[in-house]
Amino acid sequence: MTRPPVDPTVELRGITKRFPGTLANDAVDLTVHRGEIHALMGENGAGKSTLMSILYGMERADAGSIRIDGREVTFGDPSAAMAAGLGMVHQSFKLFDSLTVAENVVYAAEPRRFGLLDRAAARRRVRELAEEHGLAVDPDARVGDLPVGLRQRVEILKLLHRGARTLILDEPTAVLTPAEADALFAVLKSLAAQGRTVILVTHKLREVLEGSDKVTVLRDGRVVARLVTADTSADEIAAAMTGRAVDLDRVHAPGTPGDAVLEVTSLTTDAVHDVGLTVHAGEIVGIAGVAGNGQSELVEALAGLRPVTAGQVTLKGRDITHVSATERRAQGLAYVPEDRHAVGTAPAASVADNLAMGHHRTSLSAKGLLPPATVRTHAGRLIERFGIKAATPEVPASALSGGNLQKLLIGRELAHEAPLLLVEQPTRGVDIGAIQNIHDQIVAYRDAGHAVLLVSAELSEIRGLADRVLVMYEGRVTATYTKDEADEQALGLAMAGGAVAPTEAVD
Amino acid sequence: MTHTQIPRISGVLRSPITFSVLAGLVIGALFLVGTGADPFTAYGAVLTGSLGADGIGSTLSTGTSVLGMALALAIPLRAGLINLGGDGQMVLGGITAAVTGLYSPLPAPLTVALALLAGMAAGAAYAALAALCENSLGVPLLVSSLLLSYPAVSLASYLARYPLKEPGSSLPQTRAMPNGVALPAFGDSTVTIGLLLVVLAAATYWFTDKRTAFGYEIRMTGLNSRFAAYAGVERRGLTLKLMSVSGALAGLVGAIGVLSFPYRFVDGSLTAPGYTWTGLTAALLAAAAPLGTVVASFFFAVLAVGGLAMERTTEVPRELTQVLQAIVIVFLAARLRFPSGWFRRRSQATSQESPQEIGAA
Repeated sequence: MTRPPVDPTVELRGITKRFPGTLANDAVDLTVHRGEIHALMGENGAGKSTLMSILYGMERADAGSIRIDGREVTFGDPSAAMAAGLGMVHQSFKLFDSLTVAENVVYAAEPRRFGLLDRAAARRRVRELAEEHGLAVDPDARVGDLPVGLRQRVEILKLLHRGARTLILDEPTAVLTPAEADALFAVLKSLAAQGRTVILVTHKLREVLEGSDKVTVLRDGRVVARLVTADTSADEIAAAMTGRAVDLDRVHAPGTPGDAVLEVTSLTTDAVHDVGLTVHAGEIVGIAGVAGNGQSELVEALAGLRPVTAGQVTLKGRDITHVSATERRAQGLAYVPEDRHAVGTAPAASVADNLAMGHHRTSLSAKGLLPPATVRTHAGRLIERFGIKAATPEVPASALSGGNLQKLLIGRELAHEAPLLLVEQPTRGVDIGAIQNIHDQIVAYRDAGHAVLLVSAELSEIRGLADRVLVMYEGRVTATYTKDEADEQALGLAMAGGAVAPTEAVD
Repeated sequence: MTHTQIPRISGVLRSPITFSVLAGLVIGALFLVGTGADPFTAYGAVLTGSLGADGIGSTLSTGTSVLGMALALAIPLRAGLINLGGDGQMVLGGITAAVTGLYSPLPAPLTVALALLAGMAAGAAYAALAALCENSLGVPLLVSSLLLSYPAVSLASYLARYPLKEPGSSLPQTRAMPNGVALPAFGDSTVTIGLLLVVLAAATYWFTDKRTAFGYEIRMTGLNSRFAAYAGVERRGLTLKLMSVSGALAGLVGAIGVLSFPYRFVDGSLTAPGYTWTGLTAALLAAAAPLGTVVASFFFAVLAVGGLAMERTTEVPRELTQVLQAIVIVFLAARLRFPSGWFRRRSQATSQESPQEIGAA
């Protein structure tokens, strides 16, 4: 045995963490070397977050040891981890929107003069750091005014300012456009080249393959694969994550559109301007766009949860522009909302109760009665049909994993057999295995002759499922593509606001 | 079976409710020790005074009002709505029942039924007004229901003191109900069939909550109102319906009060015992679950009646029981619970948060 070429910067040995009922980490070893971009992959619930929480001092391991730069450490809280040179960019940024970039960067480690914040020094420091690492951002801009990609840079600058030598990024590209993600990886590579270490927690295969040096895959709290990125493939990683072979990036066969089911003309509401679109039976229409460009508002308006200011919405030829959500459902609309926890379910209610919603006045009830036995049977049927993993129908929905909660939601809505299905971000934060299942369900639903309007920020999803693709940018439909035209580059450009002229008139 | 029951038992033990009640009793005991009294004697006096042969009647008639008000508050609370106007709705129900009882030309048994219905209608209409204030004017229900309560109490007080005052009496009270216009009592106790009416209301609430689509919508609204709205549950309509039911129950409590001893409307007699607040406490303690509300109401009725007995037999003032109530609520609001380790050995099977209801089990 020869000594490894570089000493490991971060070394986790035998980390075990048990939560009541689950073994979140089971003797996990993770070795990350200096100057390396190391991807930590795994499905939801595989134990990635727990492991990083332990490393960052937010949780305490039941067993195991942590070594940083060869020295054994125990962190009682994140500030101890920071002092040891670790820094973490959380999935939801922790910034003050009303303060400037410079103020955010130096927060809690301010350069002082006479005991007061030295603003000039702070600005200088941000400029230096930005220049050194290619993280261009205006130190005087208000963080609240910045796009998400730049806010992420502020987070990274914050860590660099505090002298972090190891950066942990949790799902850093979830909110970025493809171009922003590429820029992020360029930055990470240059940081690694300067001898800093990057741990990337993610479930996106593409960026792991393009941007990392090594991959550690967790499944059920255990390390199931340690791979060198250059020698592996997406299929191998996916198989390790799911424990079986997965066909990635499937493009489903196109549907056969029939009559128009949903017709929207010149719809205007909050953050939506003059949007027109048609969805036919047997067709999936995809709406691509970076989050926050009016897609959510559009769908809420269609679902009857947001008043329409102008325009018209018809469902199977009937005007539903101003009717209630209940009436729309009765007319034949089902809806899978973006926010599973706040809108799509009642997490504190049982799985059975969650599965009954919307059916509780129709198929499950007679004369206003809703017998618990009927609710349970209905739940059992859907649990089986959609492969929802729940211990019993009585457990609260909050006990389900993200993927299973989504299966619950999609199963419940598909069971309406409504002519029109609105689906928002159906696989956000969902495991690869579950993604496939959900995609298959949506396509099968279309093939049964239903119309589907799919909103997703995930390009591969849009391209895999949609028969036609509309791109929304700043509240308008700025481009329309057929399935063949919708390549990643064209969509990416349109999502960033760079669409040339739309290929069809949209007004 | 045991697999699911053990965590449930430990869930109940660990629930903030158990913690609050025990903490209330322990702190109450400390107060007692501090004032030189023996906590065991005092608590013993509470129990014998309320559940013994002499006290049980009193406990049940107090329990009638407490349970009625607890249901009135629990039903909207199940959907996350708080009706703070129970006093006003109850008093309006009482004065309306009094007027009906005094002036109805019908035979006595029909008059009793009519007075009950009129009292319920008055309470319902007044609570519905608070709901309308929220639905159409955007006044939060908490505020509209509370503020509407005061004029109602004042109006009833005026009626009892002036137009309807019993001639020649020095008390602010109406004339007594005509002969026979009274709720039948059990034996010669003060417990009337009002208790049955309220228990019937509790049973109806339980049935609606457990077995109807409407009850399902109420529960889901309470657990996540955005979820319910997303699926098409119309919030305004629900608010109006639940407040009407709530007001009707409060009005029923008022009417029962007038149609039982002393068979008249006495200004302040309905509000002074604080049934509304005790009822709210009970509803909160049970997280509005039907059976839990019944249990909690009985518990508070025991405390109230037993407190009086304790004051008589020991030197301890009955305010102690109110202190107990207050402590229970403060602890409950803080959502304190026993640390999970205390019961871990028994509950290794699950990690679920214990449900916040004791009654729905």
